[in-house]
Amino acid sequence: MNFDNLRQFLPDEAVLLSEESRRVYECDALSAHRVIPGCVVLPDSVEQVQAVLRYCHANDIPVVARGAGTGLSGGAMPHAEGVLLILAKFDQIIEIDAKQRIARVQPGVRNLAISDAVKSHDLYYAPDPSSQIACTIGGNVAENSGGVHCLKYGLTVHNILQLKIITIEGDLLTIGSHALDSPGYDLLALFTGSEGMLGVIIEVTVKLLPKPPYSRVLLAAFDDIEKAGNSVAGIIANGIIPAGLEMMDKAGVRAVEDYIHAGYPVEAEAILLCELDGTEDEVLVTIDKVETLLKEYGAIEVRVARDENESLQFWAGRKAAFPAVGRIAPDYYCMDGTIPRKHIAEVLSKINILSEKYELAVVNVFHAGDGNLHPLILYDVAIPGELKRAEAFGSDILKLCVSIGGTITGEHGVGVEKINEMCVQFSEDELQQFHEVKAAFDKKGLLNPGKAVPTLNRCAEFGAMHVHKGHDKFPDLERF
Amino acid sequence: MEQKIITIKEQIETAIEQRENLKIVGGNSKSFLGRDIVGSKIDMSDYTGVISYEPTELYISVKAGTLLSDVNKVLSEKNQILAFEPAEVNEKTTIGGVVATGLSGPRRPYAGSVRDFVLGISCINGLAKNMSFGGQVMKNVAGYDLSRLLTGSYGSLAVIYDVTFKVLPIPEFESSGCKQTSRQEALETMSELSVKSFPVSAACYYDGLLSVRFSGNKKVVKDSMQNFSLQEMDNSEQFWSELRNFKLPFFNSEKPIWRLSVPSSSNIGFEKDDYVIDWGGAQYWLASERPANEIFSLAEGFGGSALLFHGGDRSGDVFQPLSKGIFKLQQNLKQAFDPYRILNREKMYKTL
Ligand SMILES: Cc1cc2nc3c(=O)[nH]c(=O)nc-3n(C[C@H](O)[C@H](O)[C@H](O)COP(=O)(O)OP(=O)(O)OC[C@H]3O[C@@H](n4cnc5c(N)ncnc54)[C@H](O)[C@@H]3O)c2cc1C
Repeated sequence: MNFDNLRQFLPDEAVLLSEESRRVYECDALSAHRVIPGCVVLPDSVEQVQAVLRYCHANDIPVVARGAGTGLSGGAMPHAEGVLLILAKFDQIIEIDAKQRIARVQPGVRNLAISDAVKSHDLYYAPDPSSQIACTIGGNVAENSGGVHCLKYGLTVHNILQLKIITIEGDLLTIGSHALDSPGYDLLALFTGSEGMLGVIIEVTVKLLPKPPYSRVLLAAFDDIEKAGNSVAGIIANGIIPAGLEMMDKAGVRAVEDYIHAGYPVEAEAILLCELDGTEDEVLVTIDKVETLLKEYGAIEVRVARDENESLQFWAGRKAAFPAVGRIAPDYYCMDGTIPRKHIAEVLSKINILSEKYELAVVNVFHAGDGNLHPLILYDVAIPGELKRAEAFGSDILKLCVSIGGTITGEHGVGVEKINEMCVQFSEDELQQFHEVKAAFDKKGLLNPGKAVPTLNRCAEFGAMHVHKGHDKFPDLERF
Repeated sequence: MEQKIITIKEQIETAIEQRENLKIVGGNSKSFLGRDIVGSKIDMSDYTGVISYEPTELYISVKAGTLLSDVNKVLSEKNQILAFEPAEVNEKTTIGGVVATGLSGPRRPYAGSVRDFVLGISCINGLAKNMSFGGQVMKNVAGYDLSRLLTGSYGSLAVIYDVTFKVLPIPEFESSGCKQTSRQEALETMSELSVKSFPVSAACYYDGLLSVRFSGNKKVVKDSMQNFSLQEMDNSEQFWSELRNFKLPFFNSEKPIWRLSVPSSSNIGFEKDDYVIDWGGAQYWLASERPANEIFSLAEGFGGSALLFHGGDRSGDVFQPLSKGIFKLQQNLKQAFDPYRILNREKMYKTL
């Protein structure tokens, strides 16, 4: 393929053709999957993006959009014969309207940069993925990213109002509006989480929230993971929706303690972090309630942060969990299934059995409040066969999630990583419907080909049977 | 598969063969909405019941024909609610109609909309394919978010037969207050309410009166009422339920009733026409004889859209006309779900 022609639309330095410069972008944060892109472009105007897309559409060239490349499912993995379209130069906040509580931003703006920019108005952007220093808002919309505070404040889909997108034909369209709803089918919801398959996001209007005047974190330790799981359900059953509700198992606590000494109780089987926010009066009353509840559910220790600083210290351990695990193993593989909360204990014990079967250690940190698990499978890519074993282990965890009524991905997306497990979660008719929806936007299938939705042939090859959501147990898993 | 699902599939298969249109009906309580259409009936009203409800998992799954009043009752027994506050237009309102029309009540700007709370949908598309999307868990990004796409699609993409919602606890305490004021001042107060962390859960301006509802911690609610010098309303339950259920005296107007969804900063003044402002300034109800085109361009001028809610000419445009590019995508999506254009054909737009 001759990519030189792209220099008609872009300055020379914005079209990377040498292998050396292309190799920089061979993967996202799922580094096990690498492909050197055919060509890399770094446009900085809407017209340039339109021109690139029109050219690719006319010449049947695949296009993969990329934000910061922090995705964990290979969504931004390049195409060998295609163009990798990097949106990082679109890093401007176009407009902040504090009165209407919205900000209009370009897709390459980093998640945290939005909250930083509106701080002086006492506002913030709620979805807070752990990668928020680096990941872009365009990537967040494409993945419908979540974060620690999504239990109370919702995911990306709940916190955006309008998108400007460019179709594969190069047309600039506005989806949604600055009103609360818009006529016609809800394209805004459809676009959110569509993994760069339907169009290129070129502008996002986000909703901003007033900063809660007061917040506090509680830390509870349990000698039994089941009790920790039950207390999560207990808090919610009592009508309390915390701002964040996170859990970590013993292996996680140990890794974190060795790394940053957050002061977590290392003898505990599990710890729970619960953040409450609102006005001071409200939070103080609720803290008492939650403390009592946690003890009733068998917490061996409950600590209430004395001040803002201690709250931050409690969080510091959770936020450092991934790098902490990075220190105890050469590689780790982060899974992302979501399950009904009531099955937390059962699933964790099954994961431990799988861990023995595959002879790979696993650390569990997760968004307990919404049942979103992040088992981190530890392996060493240098040891032949370990990566394959880690992937098989991961796949079994995802099937387990589907079999008890959950899903294979809560926030990281399908990408290339979980494409086979899509065959387990969805029937042929459902997958076919996804393909029809894709065709409604991209008839030639040029945007991010091979991602997010498997072909029916691929499912036949993978040989997985569709597990009917939570009704049948996955037969393979009955053995342990 | 339940017998009802088999029957619907058969109805669709027959309709494909005979090139016949199908009209999906729940309780018929909102039959005044959308464009006038013809077709043989798919009746959902006999497909009822709660499939599963787990208060601690914060979800409820129900069959589409279930009465909204029954769902509300089941939830209130466990101190929970559908936070988007859907309208019970009359005692026959079904949950399927709530989802298909996607209309949310007064709490919407502060709690979220119908689609924000839809977690999963089971449906049959225009090719008689039975499918489920989403599920019962809060976080789920496997595949395109088709359950949210189907919400508000007026039955024109698929027959929705089971729905799962996220539910929330009933606020611990609620109190409402009002004051006589000008439109200008009412809108300013509404704006102030949402820029700061006040626990507001509804804000409406009607007949010279600003009404605000606060929900949450008792002390915080009481302090907020004082902060805005609002007088406690004695008929608040009735007022919010009349607003939610389109039962305020305003809705008895002989004139066509329009709903405008606009940015909350719009501040639209109507000299001659009756109106109600809801959603803290982001939704206007307007009773007006003005021609449809005029109202559509008015809404568009403010960056919003209009819907001919009740009365008027229901053979013309009822929903805000869309730009060419967006409309093309709507047609493509119709094609993706219902290529023979069997389901609620022309309900939203003449060519869908
Ligand atoms: C340490 C770490 C912690 C993380 N924690 C979280 C977490 O807590 N919650 C969470 O949800 N995720 C988390 N992630 C995953 C990741 O950060 C998110 O998925 C993020 O939204 C990706 O943003 P990005 O800009 O890096 O996108 P990329 O990785 O560049 O792209 C992701 C996908 O979006 C598409 N895309 C990107 N930009 C556009 C655009 N403008 N238009 C159309 N499509 C586009 C790409 O094609 C790709 O499919 C974490 C990742 C890491 C490495």
